[in-house]
Amino acid sequence: MKRSITWRLVAMFAVAALVTFSLIGGALYVVLRGELMRHEREELNTHLQDMMYLIQRITTADRWNRVQTKMDTLTPADGSVRFWVLSDDPRFQYGKGMAEMERMERNADGMGTIVLPQREHAFQTLTRTIPADDERPVIRLIVGIDGAAYAHTLRTFVIAMLALSLTAVLLVMLLGYWIAQLGLRPLKQLSVAAQALSPGSSSQRLEVSPLADELSDLTAAFNGALGRLEAAYKQLEAFNADVAHELRTPLANLIGETQVALSRQRTAPQFEEVLQSNLEELERLRSIVNDMLFLARADQGEAATGLVVTPIEQEVAKTIDFFEFVLDEREMSVAIEGDAAASAPIETSLFRRAMSNLLQNAIQHSPDQACIAIRIEEREAAVRVSVRNPGEPIGASHLPRLFDRFFRADPARHDQGGHHGHGLGLAIVKAVADMHGGEVFATSDDGVTAIGFSVARPA
Amino acid sequence: MKILIVEDELKTADYLHKGLTEQGCAVDLAHDGVDGQHLALTHDYDVIVLDVMLPKMDGFSVLRALREVKQTPVIMLTARDRIEDRIKGLHDGADDYLIKPFSFLELLARLQALTRRGRTQEPMQLKIGNLQIDLITRKAWRGATRIDLTAKEFALLAVLARRQGEILSKTAIAELVWDMNFDSNTNVVEVAIKRLRAKIDAAFSPKLLHTIRGMGYVLELQDEEAASPG
Repeated sequence: MKRSITWRLVAMFAVAALVTFSLIGGALYVVLRGELMRHEREELNTHLQDMMYLIQRITTADRWNRVQTKMDTLTPADGSVRFWVLSDDPRFQYGKGMAEMERMERNADGMGTIVLPQREHAFQTLTRTIPADDERPVIRLIVGIDGAAYAHTLRTFVIAMLALSLTAVLLVMLLGYWIAQLGLRPLKQLSVAAQALSPGSSSQRLEVSPLADELSDLTAAFNGALGRLEAAYKQLEAFNADVAHELRTPLANLIGETQVALSRQRTAPQFEEVLQSNLEELERLRSIVNDMLFLARADQGEAATGLVVTPIEQEVAKTIDFFEFVLDEREMSVAIEGDAAASAPIETSLFRRAMSNLLQNAIQHSPDQACIAIRIEEREAAVRVSVRNPGEPIGASHLPRLFDRFFRADPARHDQGGHHGHGLGLAIVKAVADMHGGEVFATSDDGVTAIGFSVARPA
Repeated sequence: MKILIVEDELKTADYLHKGLTEQGCAVDLAHDGVDGQHLALTHDYDVIVLDVMLPKMDGFSVLRALREVKQTPVIMLTARDRIEDRIKGLHDGADDYLIKPFSFLELLARLQALTRRGRTQEPMQLKIGNLQIDLITRKAWRGATRIDLTAKEFALLAVLARRQGEILSKTAIAELVWDMNFDSNTNVVEVAIKRLRAKIDAAFSPKLLHTIRGMGYVLELQDEEAASPG
């Protein structure tokens, strides 16, 4: 179940308040009860000392009534303070309910409790034994105080404490709600700002500055995601446009040529010529579609299968062999340099395809009689192959885009290549690198262009 | 050559039928899996072209049923450019596969390769017109003139000569000569043909190495009128 952050915060505030108040309340209760008991004991003690002082001076049965009078006087009308004198001699006795007194339990310090009939609360008692003197036998003097007042005080305290705590918890919840709302306001602003982003204008971003520090990371991350989406979206848009453009030219040629052919009476050789020309265009279309399907498969994350550990130099040499006639024609030479012993698990047909595209690209962009170098570098987890050729410098901004589909650094060169390649060659190199867990790279320094790719190899 | 084509797409089936008949093959057509299986089991074909996606019964089922009875070579046609299909097809006993869209020349080449497989031993000498090729000593003559060829030039000539009269696409040539089995989008084959032509045709008559525009190249002795331009 999803819960709002606000309510979670409020609930947490409430729990925290409840725990705090319970601890404080509990502690206060313990302190208060201790104080009340101490007070009770002092009161009992005062009464007891008074009586003992009197009793110790009275040693005869005749004068005992003075004690009784004094006790009567000191016993308040509500009976909240009581006196008892217990002894074996009935003349020296005082108080009601002697029988219960005998059974009363006492602690070592003489403190005890007793429940009297018709009294709601137990009496706290203090007992002292007074030794015999003259006619007076050994007596036990007991003072009792009704616990009602103390119990009442405690109960009132507990009720007040509970009421206060509950009110305070409610208050904390209300305040917590308000604080949460206040604290989450930047988040709400962010959400409103994010909702305002429309698909139409992909360059929109969330503003970072007015928001809380904690949110700036999130905002930056979100903006980063927006940026990547925008780039991908733009690439896709450009790609679609490029595809349409690439397909449009051969299609227009096909339609136009066929229309022209059919608009007059033609001889068989003339029709044959038209069909041959159409076939060339159709082959071009097929080649584009096949390459696009290949790229789509790579995009879907298809990895190379049938990997065989192969010496890279051997494959590179085969590719050079393939271009032998073209190189001869342009009086170019190709040298292999670097780690000749490097090998990696590759799908040879894919690797040759990438190599051949790279070499084709280098031949196309080099002057006649140029020397092309193919460098093989063995790294810890990859083998890198790059083709270096003298050529026009490529702007730094163009370098990473060389591997984009249909990308041409020089738009004027668009049709110069004729039917050799349709701007997908290096994109296919990248796809092959991806399929082998590698990557592509390109540099352009001092009139030397180096474009290459890597294939992963077990370290 | 007797061929069975099992293909439900009418336009594809029609052009295959027409093209293969013109190549001198006896062609039977079936438009669904059930008919295809019936024909395949009741007749003896040299090779069967079998589409994967078929009504009533798919190509894999037809293939399995066929393999329980006989070993007629089978080329599977798959529209889905997916590895699983290829693996499944080859696992079930297909001899080869082609991914749609394929070129007719490619199919022709594969059919010939399948029926040639395990046939008579290759000749050691080939002769086209007055062009003589010795495959053992790797030498070629035009009439009495010895033609000096590099190793790759000879390999190209041998590939074309072994399939004389057969149109070879640039892709097929790249695969047969250099083992590059992909659409290379390069002018390598054109340049190579140009060089070979300069050596074997330029100074001699009749011309033997012909360009079939849009399709590829063929090495054959043609009638003067029928010779293709270029």
